[in-house]
Amino acid sequence: MRFSGAFEFPPDKAKANDRAIRLEWITVGYLVSAIFFIYITLGSSQAMKAAWIEDILSLVPSISFLIVARIRNRAPNERFPFGYHRAVNVGYLCASVALAIMGLYLLYDSVSKLAAFEHAPIGLVQPWGEPIWLGWFMLPALVWSAIPAVILGRIKIPLARQLHDKILYADAQMNKADWLTAVAAMVGVLGIGFGIWWLDPIAAIVISLDITHDGIKNLRTATAGLMDARPTVVDGSAVDPLPERLRTELLALDWVRDAVVKVREDGHVFFADIQVEPSTNEGLTSKIERTARDLIKVDWRLIDVIMMPVEKIEDKRRADKTRPDVRSGSKP
Amino acid sequence: MCDLSTMQVVTSKENFLSEAWSFALLGWGNQEPVKRLVILLAITLTACGVPRDPEGTLARVSGGVMRVGVTDAPPWVELGDTAPDGIEVRLVEQLAEEIEAEIEWVEGSEQELFGALRFRELDLVLGGLTTETPWSAEAAVTHPYLTTATLVAVPQGSEATEDIAGLEVGVEANTEIAGLLRRTDARVVEVDDIEDFDGPVAIDNYLTDDLDVVDTGVRLSESDHVLALPMGENDWMTTVEAFLLERPDEIKKLLAELGTP
Repeated sequence: MRFSGAFEFPPDKAKANDRAIRLEWITVGYLVSAIFFIYITLGSSQAMKAAWIEDILSLVPSISFLIVARIRNRAPNERFPFGYHRAVNVGYLCASVALAIMGLYLLYDSVSKLAAFEHAPIGLVQPWGEPIWLGWFMLPALVWSAIPAVILGRIKIPLARQLHDKILYADAQMNKADWLTAVAAMVGVLGIGFGIWWLDPIAAIVISLDITHDGIKNLRTATAGLMDARPTVVDGSAVDPLPERLRTELLALDWVRDAVVKVREDGHVFFADIQVEPSTNEGLTSKIERTARDLIKVDWRLIDVIMMPVEKIEDKRRADKTRPDVRSGSKP
Repeated sequence: MCDLSTMQVVTSKENFLSEAWSFALLGWGNQEPVKRLVILLAITLTACGVPRDPEGTLARVSGGVMRVGVTDAPPWVELGDTAPDGIEVRLVEQLAEEIEAEIEWVEGSEQELFGALRFRELDLVLGGLTTETPWSAEAAVTHPYLTTATLVAVPQGSEATEDIAGLEVGVEANTEIAGLLRRTDARVVEVDDIEDFDGPVAIDNYLTDDLDVVDTGVRLSESDHVLALPMGENDWMTTVEAFLLERPDEIKKLLAELGTP
């Protein structure tokens, strides 16, 4: 049984999705301004450089989200019979690889500056005719790179949960954590101001560790997504209850003796692969078709249900002992 | 600079493009709050001696000895038999007077001087350096104190045209200007002494009066002149920079006096 077509949000989610797209455009515009301000005040501070690169990298999830929002709703075609939903996973993987590599590079760069005892020189600039130490411009630029980002992040997190969108969630998390980068960079700049030169590379190391950490965390989630790992809720903190719920619905039907449900997460939509062991073969085709149509209504994210009748269920999956599983076994 | 109420308006309204822009442009449109904030920061913290020197250079040279590396680069530095002279040398002599420092001149090649500067064995290096200096990984450079250009000029009285295609232009042989000129459409005439050449010439902009020529408007290059200091001695660096930035007229006068062919 196959239903996959162009995916459409239910009305309330469509509204949330429009809002998310709007917020992501605002985020991109805002980040470009923050990147510009940090760039013009960059000087030779390593911490500023790290904060700058972090801001540039935080564009990646927002832009991925916007690109994916355009692509994922395209109808399946002959070349891509499963549709374009997985574009989300691909975008997500690229973004996390970029984060992890850039974080590691920055870490190396900052550690070598610290090891070489390199003291960052920051001199005077004259934007309004009077000479002023460039360091004083760095602080407001950093404040601008932090506060709006935190606000945007906080607004986007509930939307990401509502839309079950992992890119949006990763993006919101990054924005929300941006104040840490800004504070670290400010400590670095003030360190230079007070003649404590090593505070600057240390702050840069803190920022690059944060970037690397973000990258590796997201890389794990993205890889798990591409490997069709069991669906989780958007922040990855718990197993998604949908597969178990589908199985419960199936077992409640009098013609179903046993069932195995596997659910695959493609971007923010789910594909279900179901095997049923019917108690009777009478009118099986129409029963399967009706049931599949009913099941697909259980959750808005579910866009495709494939049901396969079998003589005897053989489920060879082992329970994951480290994380209590909700996998389907045989009827109790 | 960052306004929360604006943020809420942006998220609640439908027409987002214009609001997104107003949000992104908040910081650009009005410089006044940023300016006030920066000046406030500068005033309060400069009072507590910020920026400071990690290695205390300014405190050591004030009333003490300033070790200045010099390499021959007329008219900026001209090494003499006894003491060096030149535009940068005279400026640094004034600076030394102001902070009551005694100057110890150290002559050497750029390689030697920047090697010493990297280990803070010198406090300043002069040598007609520009922002393009390849030594920027070894040393800090000041805010540019002067911008000069190389240009094509024609003798007084002849027509000054920007179209130099096919024009015979004199240039001193084996120089950077000769190389730059060769990349234009002009016909390059290499001479040993530019003063002996009669006709259009490619020269530094400060030589036009001495050679009695007028600018055609054709620029071959621009140079922002800087001095080099040890990395990260920011109190010392900003002191030197402020000294130079306060004297644009004096620097021009020195250039007119010493900048000769």
